[in-house]
Amino acid sequence: MNIQKNAPAVDHVTASVIQGALENIAIEMGYKLMRMSYSSIIRESEDFGAGLVDTQGRGLAESAQSTPLQSGPIPGYVRGMQKILAQRGETLKPGDVIMHNDAYSGASHGPDVGFIVPVFYRDELIAFSATTAHHLDIGALTPGSCGIVDAIDAYAEGLQFKAIHVYSEGEKVIPVWHILRDNIRVSDLVVGDMEAQIAAARIGSERLVELIDRYGKTVFQAACENVMDHSERLMRQAIAALPDGTYAATTYIDGYLDDPNPANRELPLAVAITVEGDEMVVDLTGTAPQIPDKPINMPLHGTVDIAIWLTVRSVLLDTDVHGHIPVNDGLVRPIKIVAPEGCLANPIFPAPTIARFCPGNQLADTVMKALAGVAPSQVSAGIGNLRVIAFTGLQNSEHWVHMEIFEGSYGGRDGKDGMDAVDTLYANTRNNPIEDIESHLPLRVDRYELREDVCGAGQWRGGLGSVREFVYLDDGGASIEGEGHKFPPWGFRGGNDGGSAGLRLDRTDGKGGELPSKLPYTPVQAGDRFVCVGPAGGGYGDPLLRDPEQVLADVTDGLISIDTAANDYGVVITDDLAVDDAATAQRRG
Amino acid sequence: MKLIGVDVGGTFTDLMYGDTDSQTVAIHKVPTTPDDPSRGVIQGMLEICARFDVDRGDVDHVLHGTTIATNAVLEYKGATTGMVTTEGYRDILHIGRHQRPQHYSIMQDIPWQDRPLVQRRHRKVVAERLAPPDGAILTPLDEDAVRTAARELREAGVEAIAVCFLFSYINPAHEDRAAEIIREEYPECFVTTSSAVSPQFREFERFTTAAMNAFIGPRVRTYVKDLEGALSENGFKADLHVMGSNGGVATGAMVSDRPVLTLLSGPAAGVLGGAMSGERSDRNRLITFDVGGTSADIGLVVDGQFAEATARDTWIGGYPVMAPMIDIHTIGAGGGSIAHLDAGQAFRVGPQSAGAEPGPAAYGRGGALPTVTDANVVLGRLQPGNFLGGEMTLDAAAAQKIMAEFAEQMGMTVEAAADGVLTIINANMANAIRSRTVQKGHDPREFSLVAFGGAGPLHGVDVARDLGIPEVIIPPYPGITSAAGLLTTDLKYDAIRTEFQVSGNVDGERLSRDFDTMRDGLAAQFKTDGLDEGAVAYQRSGDLRYVGQGYELRVPVADGPVDAACLADIFKAFEAIHTTEYGHVFEDNPIEIVNIRVTGVGQMPKIELPTQSQGGNLKDALLDEAQCHFRQDGDLQAMATPLYQRDKLPIDQPLEGPAIILQKDTTTVIPPGARATAQAGGNLLIETGA
Repeated sequence: MNIQKNAPAVDHVTASVIQGALENIAIEMGYKLMRMSYSSIIRESEDFGAGLVDTQGRGLAESAQSTPLQSGPIPGYVRGMQKILAQRGETLKPGDVIMHNDAYSGASHGPDVGFIVPVFYRDELIAFSATTAHHLDIGALTPGSCGIVDAIDAYAEGLQFKAIHVYSEGEKVIPVWHILRDNIRVSDLVVGDMEAQIAAARIGSERLVELIDRYGKTVFQAACENVMDHSERLMRQAIAALPDGTYAATTYIDGYLDDPNPANRELPLAVAITVEGDEMVVDLTGTAPQIPDKPINMPLHGTVDIAIWLTVRSVLLDTDVHGHIPVNDGLVRPIKIVAPEGCLANPIFPAPTIARFCPGNQLADTVMKALAGVAPSQVSAGIGNLRVIAFTGLQNSEHWVHMEIFEGSYGGRDGKDGMDAVDTLYANTRNNPIEDIESHLPLRVDRYELREDVCGAGQWRGGLGSVREFVYLDDGGASIEGEGHKFPPWGFRGGNDGGSAGLRLDRTDGKGGELPSKLPYTPVQAGDRFVCVGPAGGGYGDPLLRDPEQVLADVTDGLISIDTAANDYGVVITDDLAVDDAATAQRRG
Repeated sequence: MKLIGVDVGGTFTDLMYGDTDSQTVAIHKVPTTPDDPSRGVIQGMLEICARFDVDRGDVDHVLHGTTIATNAVLEYKGATTGMVTTEGYRDILHIGRHQRPQHYSIMQDIPWQDRPLVQRRHRKVVAERLAPPDGAILTPLDEDAVRTAARELREAGVEAIAVCFLFSYINPAHEDRAAEIIREEYPECFVTTSSAVSPQFREFERFTTAAMNAFIGPRVRTYVKDLEGALSENGFKADLHVMGSNGGVATGAMVSDRPVLTLLSGPAAGVLGGAMSGERSDRNRLITFDVGGTSADIGLVVDGQFAEATARDTWIGGYPVMAPMIDIHTIGAGGGSIAHLDAGQAFRVGPQSAGAEPGPAAYGRGGALPTVTDANVVLGRLQPGNFLGGEMTLDAAAAQKIMAEFAEQMGMTVEAAADGVLTIINANMANAIRSRTVQKGHDPREFSLVAFGGAGPLHGVDVARDLGIPEVIIPPYPGITSAAGLLTTDLKYDAIRTEFQVSGNVDGERLSRDFDTMRDGLAAQFKTDGLDEGAVAYQRSGDLRYVGQGYELRVPVADGPVDAACLADIFKAFEAIHTTEYGHVFEDNPIEIVNIRVTGVGQMPKIELPTQSQGGNLKDALLDEAQCHFRQDGDLQAMATPLYQRDKLPIDQPLEGPAIILQKDTTTVIPPGARATAQAGGNLLIETGA
């Protein structure tokens, strides 16, 4: 089965055509999954992935519309599944479908359930077609699948699927589906989404067989090697363009700011990138030890590796600069990851991991900060991290669950301000329309605007954060995981730090108040309001070098005040909104 | 009845004249005048009337395809635009769906942030708030605040204002009142409301659509007014109708009010023209394939019905637009697409294009990169002395030289490299067609490919074979198919309303009532346009999804009251469409009627192209013979290939490939194994052998 490196090369033209066909298949899988799925977390937030993987567990193509944190891990899901099946002495047969979510065997975290279809060509296993998606509930201790920040171990996080057959040789394995329905809240939606995942993965399998039929197995496999080698060459060239050396950075996460145990708060994430020739080692030594009973540990395969690859790729092979780059195994070959066992970035089972989303994105930001030392014009200043809230409740003894991902913002860039109020780095989901939320859930969104007068000043200022307010129209509950309340996004090259995030619960009984970034399940009453304040990205370059006209534009647009223009930028703006050149020159010295 | 269709393209303005009584047609082409496209339009119309002896005053209708609205968006040259929106939601336009356009990019721009349709300083908030499900008023409209906002925007030099309130698609009262106040304060202003432009849920997309309507409104309004003035000054008495993205035309007044309806005017006319040609060959399942210099547009027509894009898939210039549009899939693949080895040494063709300037190397204008056109020259498929009817000579040596340099990088022969360029570009185009057929449950083998545009007939057979499509149709005038399509249009208006009603609990009477109200609204519009009630046909449909899903599917709804039987039919049809589209159905799950729609089509007079009954024989059509390269049994071979003149081809006498068919607009390639027949209806029908 192994493809040899010196197998007869496929011609340039065929390789190019097969590469396009593989991507086209993955895109179709993602398109169908997104349109068929039930939960807003998949179809609106696009928190799903679809991809094709070869028998060695190497990624061949991923769907373009899915989020990087879902498609990226798919090869790892397949490798983890293969390992478990091998340990159990099981083999795959045509018609099998495998469900897998083991965070210690390649899965990103428990709620991201993978469905894997082995692809057979003339009775021979030739590839895998797989989809992943974030499910609304996976049977954890409290409703929803985010904000379970009090899970004490992997068992408290919900159901664990370690390479489970849900179809066996085409036959549905009925008992497994009963277990799912009996142990998962909002199981109609979740099971519907799982069926959609399987349907999409099967389409990928069918299309792949058709493709191999056209070109024959030998040519197909040679083309796959060629396609992966191509991406590998691009990444090696990009790394080789950097001067050799070691570039290090550290940032901090909140952890549990209200935890009396100091070991659980203000935790370092350390990254040292060593560039040598066309290869790179990313060493996470110095990152805080794992927390044995809090779920912000990050699976090494499925979260940590994705955060690193995503950031390196976005900086060194930025698609805005380099155009479309085929995403496959080749891109990650030149990057080696070192993470000491037992640290936050390589926890030991059964340490819980379900709330790893925000720490993982902070790790991505730390990688970017390390790269800033060697590629300063290709990075942004520090990004604002994200927050996820599970809004839940019971109506007529039935659960409702709504998960909303809250945006961060980007830091300033060389020649450009930061992107305002967007998902950052390894996340790229979508918000839910207010008109959809209010039409289907007992919630009201009372405000959704930019956060004024808080931003990382710089020659290129950081992106602005957002303010969003959610009011409950009925009694219910909320579970929250976020980051960045304590540590603001970093400024770069003389730019100021950005603004940290905040969260407040205004209760109708007057007992609310400011909250830390993590909140385990908490009951709320009708009329209670969450005020969610998003972080503002760091500034890039000396604010005194910012074009006064741009400062004026920000004042005119109500983004910053006249005082801020003077204090942060040294630009004096008159009451009738004009730049006072003389006063500005004097102030800027 | 005398009609003129005039389609403004990037380089040429194409015209077709048709007389429905005498059944004559004539075509003409003039250069486009980009600074003011109406000059080219008028010039073309004067010339076609003079040349074919048509009295200007006798022309009944002018049907116009225009890129004026599209260009305003793409070039980001619109009016200074203001917005009045609900307090608390000033930045919906700016935050959007909080998603970056590219996953893997730090340096990317976000169109709605970097090129805002309305700057924040011009986004004014006023107190008001409605709530679902029935649009109840939570906060009454602060009319004084609207008045103040209007005055401030006027003073700030704003020329157009969009009124965008949450939940206005259920209850437009606040938006309508605010617009009224703004018009009182600022009568010259172009005012638009989100509920009038697109009464559907999803606030970012609806607000953006309204803001875009305002942004392009003044420019389009001026253009229409000037063009109507110029027509009348030059003695034309005809009504002006403008092609809409939905595949129908609208009156000048309608388009002036809602220019956002015309964003795909030209491509939509192309699909119509392709459909007309298909029908001339009695084919009713068609893939239209319009290939120019930089892009290929793909459309689908089944039984005369165009596939319509879903509201969530329609984007212009990076902005979402919720307006009814024919589903046209555009990819960056055309004659000017550049072949290159990328940094990782992979063989790529496009999406970069050499455009018209400098163009392909073969144009001899200094183009120094190998293109698809150069590959066609190297392989003998484009004949240097017979390009564009001899109006332009191709520099074969330049094409050969540039392709040889490229081939050397890969260690290939020049012919193999050129053949590789075509293989890759054809595969890209085939993938684009797959995404609209195979991936949506349609089998391309049951379709005919209508290939047109300057480069469509060069690639049509190879692309069709890649997809197993058995036949390719080349229209009589492949280069002006859009103008021809204009002569086949009807007036077409759409009404839409969001309902959110779930199976098992549907208020059928409310649906019936809403359908009737929407139909009455359209009928009033047609009456304003001067159309006889009998000439209008209405179609009803709904956008449905399983409860919980986020994407709807379009389901037809029969006429008559929406009773239990009607609802049962609707839900059954939904499940069938879901199965076709996705290959899966969720049995017994509840279904939600998200939107209902009524489309009104007002019949316009049509021309019938005359049939040709030319005898003659193939020999008379033979111009020359050339050595062309084709793949035969997998090997690239040079073959003696006859060159025929299209307009001399005998009717109903098949000719076997390899052959090249030349005409002024285009060149058609008949590869070995394919067989082409000129038909009395004017088409060239090619059996691909697939």
